[in-house]
Amino acid sequence: MSTGAGIAPSPPRSRYGRFMTGVLRGTLKLDVWINKVYPADYNPLYYTGGLSNLFLFILVLSGIFLFFYYEASLVEGFASVQYITLGVPYGGLIRGVHRYAADGFIVAVLLHLFRNWFTDRYLFSRDNPWISGMFLLIFGGFVGFTGYQLVWDERAQVLTAMFVGMLRSLPLIGDWLARVFIGGAGVSDGTLVRALFLHIGPASALYVMLWWHYLRLRHPKIWPPATWVLASVGLVFLLAGVIPATSGQPAAPAGRPASFPMDIFFLIPFWLLNYMSPFAVMVLLGALFTLGFAIPYIARREAPQEMSVRHAGVAQVIDGNCTGCELCFFDCPYNAIAMVPSPAPGLSRAAANRTWLAVVIESRCVECGICIGACPFEALELPKFLERDVQAQVLEAVRA
Amino acid sequence: MSNGPKVVGFVCDWSVDLVPLMEGGRLREMPSVRIIRVPCSGFVRPSWLEDALGRGADGVFVTGCPYGDCLNREGNYLMRDRVDQLQRRLQRRRVDPARLGMLAYGLHDGPAFLAAVRAFVEGIRALPAAAPPRSAPAAPAPAAAERETP
Amino acid sequence: MRNMYTAGIVLLSGLSLAFALGILYGEATDRWFFGGALVGALLMAYSGIVLLLRKMGIIGPRKAER
Ligand code: SF4
Ligand code: SF4
Repeated sequence: MSTGAGIAPSPPRSRYGRFMTGVLRGTLKLDVWINKVYPADYNPLYYTGGLSNLFLFILVLSGIFLFFYYEASLVEGFASVQYITLGVPYGGLIRGVHRYAADGFIVAVLLHLFRNWFTDRYLFSRDNPWISGMFLLIFGGFVGFTGYQLVWDERAQVLTAMFVGMLRSLPLIGDWLARVFIGGAGVSDGTLVRALFLHIGPASALYVMLWWHYLRLRHPKIWPPATWVLASVGLVFLLAGVIPATSGQPAAPAGRPASFPMDIFFLIPFWLLNYMSPFAVMVLLGALFTLGFAIPYIARREAPQEMSVRHAGVAQVIDGNCTGCELCFFDCPYNAIAMVPSPAPGLSRAAANRTWLAVVIESRCVECGICIGACPFEALELPKFLERDVQAQVLEAVRA
Repeated sequence: MSNGPKVVGFVCDWSVDLVPLMEGGRLREMPSVRIIRVPCSGFVRPSWLEDALGRGADGVFVTGCPYGDCLNREGNYLMRDRVDQLQRRLQRRRVDPARLGMLAYGLHDGPAFLAAVRAFVEGIRALPAAAPPRSAPAAPAPAAAERETP
Repeated sequence: MRNMYTAGIVLLSGLSLAFALGILYGEATDRWFFGGALVGALLMAYSGIVLLLRKMGIIGPRKAER
């Protein structure tokens, strides 16, 4: 790479690149407006991940409350939900909190997804949070759907029938999947036990996937600022009190309602069934998620050569200079530096007595160069943008 | 180019959109300000800032993304801490902290960025003349750098 | 500007007091949804107060984000 002296990166050439650059500018423009109202450390769009985590936390707490009273069987399922809603003090409120926090969760997750997509925060080794994030989205959506099943009113019954139809439409594995989903050949008491498991099991799995999601992040921002914690919890309670969550008619074996209230966040696939065959909906969902997984690999806003200094190669440790001071290890935001016992003394005077040596885990490095700024011993370099290139530019600047 | 203090700015490639502001590596409105694009504000090693001052620059500043929105998550916070430390260290050697700056501006903040740079330059202009370049220890390095770059 | 923020905080504090009394009233008369909605309203009023305090510069950014 040249010294990059004032070379403006050429604007992306492909139509997709130009479009995504426009989207990027729009996303950041939104920040400019929000920052006029909120101080930067209170900007909710800087904390979409933390907000998702907050909503998930509310869901877990309210879910534990609901779990105390819920009974998973065809007769008791509906009745116990009714009892929670009307009989338990503040039970209906907590049910509403669970319901609206789920919507908040999906909204926050989608904001998180689009913001990080549109601002290129999935490039290089940051595909790891992207992939785990897609898994989190799929599991989160599925958990939301099985939650609707648990109420076991008419809507739940129809949804179950629709979903079984969608599963059965799949060739080869369809029938088997449908059996797994309803826990037997037909709907029985076992169905609700299965639904309860399919609600709580994947929900617990979310936390395992969150561990994966955070794996390469040093100091992940997992909690939003105070004002947003208060506002989100408050909004959820306010909604739960003003528009209480309700059940429809209890499910009846012969019941077939023609329509039921839709939830735009979890039930969109079922709405599509009005217009498409079950198999087509399944194919569409499959294609959507496959594309989602592929985004980091197929959809680059800029070609690598257009990224200028932002694509300067994985950081390299200069063995002879490293003193094992661990400063880069503490500053790398992606946990990409490991300290290993030094195999041999370094060459420079400062490095002669080292006990540790820094090693860059190349599969984790995103080429940001933060470790270069951290190292006081000139022991780290970005291969395509060396210290000497920087010094040459400084020199040119002070001489003129 | 002669009018105005010599200022070197390290600007994160992701932060301010420099294309409309720059010409030949310098700010169009303030040709005495030389811009060096870096992959992230956290890439800047504080000793480079110190060197630049030592070799005759009248001021150095680093620009990153708005705090909280660093492309690389924490680069601008880390850099701000490093600049603070360096300011304290240089103050002990009687270098005015106003010669070092840390700015944070996003893609759309071009005008605000220019205003901040102008204020920075004016602040330096108001200072008494800097001590002559501290050339003794730093001299060999620039010579080497000159030879090696085409 | 500072006066407006102060006025906003005073207003929100008054509202919070009203909401808190409403919660007690809802609890006393077993109006659970009413009380619950006011819990939410109270928290949202608090969030507004926190935001205004932050904008006035009385509470600072978190330490990690100074
Ligand atoms: S360039 Fe350095 S700080 Fe950045 S991810 Fe790679 S090892 Fe970590
Ligand atoms: S900061 Fe530099 S000297 Fe210290 S451990 Fe890292 S590479 Fe080695």
